[in-house]
Amino acid sequence: MNSKRSIKLLKQSLILGSTVILLAACGNSNDTSDQESADGRTTLEFWSFWGSGARRETIEEIIEEYNASQDDVTVEHVYQPWGDIWTKSLAAIAGGNAPDVIVQDINSVKQRAEAQQATNLQDYLDEDDISGDFYPQLWDTVLYEEEAYALPFNTDTQVLFYNKTAFEEAGLDPEMPPETWDELEEMARQLDQGSEGNWEQIGFYPRWNIGVDVWALNADGGEAWFDSNGEVAINTPEKVEALEWMLDWQDYYGRDTINQYEAEFGSGVSDPFISGLVSMRGQNINYYTNLVENAPDDFEFGVAPLPEKEEGSGHWSWGGGFVLEVPENTDHPEESYDFMKYLSSTEVQEKFGMNSFDIMANTEANENLKTHEELDEMGQMIYELADQNLAVTTITPVPLNAPDFNSLVNTEIDAAFLGQKTAKEALDDAQESVENLAE
Amino acid sequence: MIESSKTDYSQKNMSSESNAQSKYFKSKKRQEQLGKIAIYVILILVSLILLAPLVWMLSTSLKPMSEIVRFPPTILPETFVWQNYLDTIQAFPFFKYMGNTLFITGFVVLGNVFSNSFIAYGFAKIEFPGKKILFALVLATMMVPGFVTMIPQYILFTRINWVGTYLPLIVPAFFGSAFNIFLLRQFYLSINNELIEAAQIDGANHLYIWSHLMVPLTKPALITVGIMSFNGAWNDFLGPLLYISKEDMYTLQIGLQSFSNQSTTQWNYLMAGATLVLIPSILLFFFAQKYFIEGMDLTGGTKG
Repeated sequence: MNSKRSIKLLKQSLILGSTVILLAACGNSNDTSDQESADGRTTLEFWSFWGSGARRETIEEIIEEYNASQDDVTVEHVYQPWGDIWTKSLAAIAGGNAPDVIVQDINSVKQRAEAQQATNLQDYLDEDDISGDFYPQLWDTVLYEEEAYALPFNTDTQVLFYNKTAFEEAGLDPEMPPETWDELEEMARQLDQGSEGNWEQIGFYPRWNIGVDVWALNADGGEAWFDSNGEVAINTPEKVEALEWMLDWQDYYGRDTINQYEAEFGSGVSDPFISGLVSMRGQNINYYTNLVENAPDDFEFGVAPLPEKEEGSGHWSWGGGFVLEVPENTDHPEESYDFMKYLSSTEVQEKFGMNSFDIMANTEANENLKTHEELDEMGQMIYELADQNLAVTTITPVPLNAPDFNSLVNTEIDAAFLGQKTAKEALDDAQESVENLAE
Repeated sequence: MIESSKTDYSQKNMSSESNAQSKYFKSKKRQEQLGKIAIYVILILVSLILLAPLVWMLSTSLKPMSEIVRFPPTILPETFVWQNYLDTIQAFPFFKYMGNTLFITGFVVLGNVFSNSFIAYGFAKIEFPGKKILFALVLATMMVPGFVTMIPQYILFTRINWVGTYLPLIVPAFFGSAFNIFLLRQFYLSINNELIEAAQIDGANHLYIWSHLMVPLTKPALITVGIMSFNGAWNDFLGPLLYISKEDMYTLQIGLQSFSNQSTTQWNYLMAGATLVLIPSILLFFFAQKYFIEGMDLTGGTKG
């Protein structure tokens, strides 16, 4: 009896199930076949990874204003998870159902241009050249064979954050952050408390939270592993010195100490800077928002450019960022470009920056934010510093001839930090293997 | 280790008070109790280790961000911020996404339970030419990693216009999956053929035998398949990520991701959300535990 009833149930649910599936299928075909809504407006799908907080609120406000400002286009913002957005866009572009505009990584524009995954925007730019609105190194990233495939949206730069209270306690002037590597070391020694195996306060450790690549670039006049001519420049004397310098820091605090700390806060949940364990640290300037949100109210910190290797060598730093791109083979590239142009305009960029503390790609927007009345003194200072720092910030687009070279370099650098190779040996080996890869 | 300490203890007892037999039995009882205590202590310790991540998740979900970033970390929250849960639910349309996830999960469970048991019955109890090769082929699909088939499958679903609907997530469940087929087939094999033959003599066909004899007999295994399908669909991230492109069709796992950003992760909300999302799985396992363990036991299929 029981099983009879269950069979009946089975049949019913199967029928129900297939009906729903059929309905779902019908619903879909109506949706995708027609991108024009009843009022004759074209619908654009815009993918970003701004899923929560200030960025999401701001972008939705901006889009709402755009939709209200004209009668032809309705932009629909679709949030995609951070990081996975690019997996998904890759599949969508390959499958031929990509959205109209995507926020993409700034370093891989050339790759997508080469693989014909992004639409060439040069025609629009020839009509109205807006390339001068952006920081020049950001504009360079969107060019492939001298034609534009994206518009820069925002960027960042690495700076030095330092704990002012710790400075005062150590007898240092909290308004005088280190200018050179030597000063950095001197101050760190004064800030250090404890001794090997039992540190209560660590003045500075260069590998927290920026990598060897940034310090190497800082030492070498802003030239990255691939220099500005596209040549492999890994084992230059300056970069070898930078790695040696970093190895000295590891020796000073002790490899075990460093490993232990990295195991404890390597996940990025606990923050040793806010907790007062580390007094100075190199970090993306956007870290400012973390400090504002999460640090105790009495936590006093300062921000400064990265120290230069020696006086006059330059406070070189490294940055990344995001661009706006139209995937290849979409139906409305012209409308999409118009929307992207709107997002890159000074006013909109200013608005996005102010609410997110992102450093914007539009020069004028950052200039305005330096004195924006809605920002407090510290906030204005952040944009002041960012603007100044961008003059010495290198962006490192992925080289087309060796897109995966980083893993080769990192293996060698790890070997150096494990004590298996000297700095010179490690970078020589890295140079050789990357040259082989690039050939 | 427990064994040896037990004997030590009994030897000691026996040598000192060997003449009193009643005392001996008393002490033996005590030994057993001690042994039990030792086992429980070990079990509790192990479960504490296993529960630690869960406790950590719960504790993080109740901390304010300012406490989460502190180093060294606090184990239990100093201030309990229940508000985190409220904020989490409001940060994205939590209940809508839950409904979407339930919708997908419901069909996937249904599809998996019926299709796999149907297919497995065929492989276990019906003789037909090429059965062995076909079964080997089915099992071989387990060897192909999902990432290899991801792009071709995506393109296939694009061609038939299924991208953007739940169909790519639901329909495949109605066509069987190798592991479940294997699991259920083992169960069916342990059921006597005489039972089927007897039913056949009485005029039952395979469909009838399957639905009236086999399904009730293999309940634990079916529940196991159901639970595993539930967990798989409920926690699936890549599937909905790839195939759903409208926010109001998103699932909980995608919603949870909105708390991690390029530079910051809102751990308090992420953990609160993860806790809420975990509750159905825990409840399900809790209530179906008995069947689940029976179902996983490939040798004892006929018990149910």
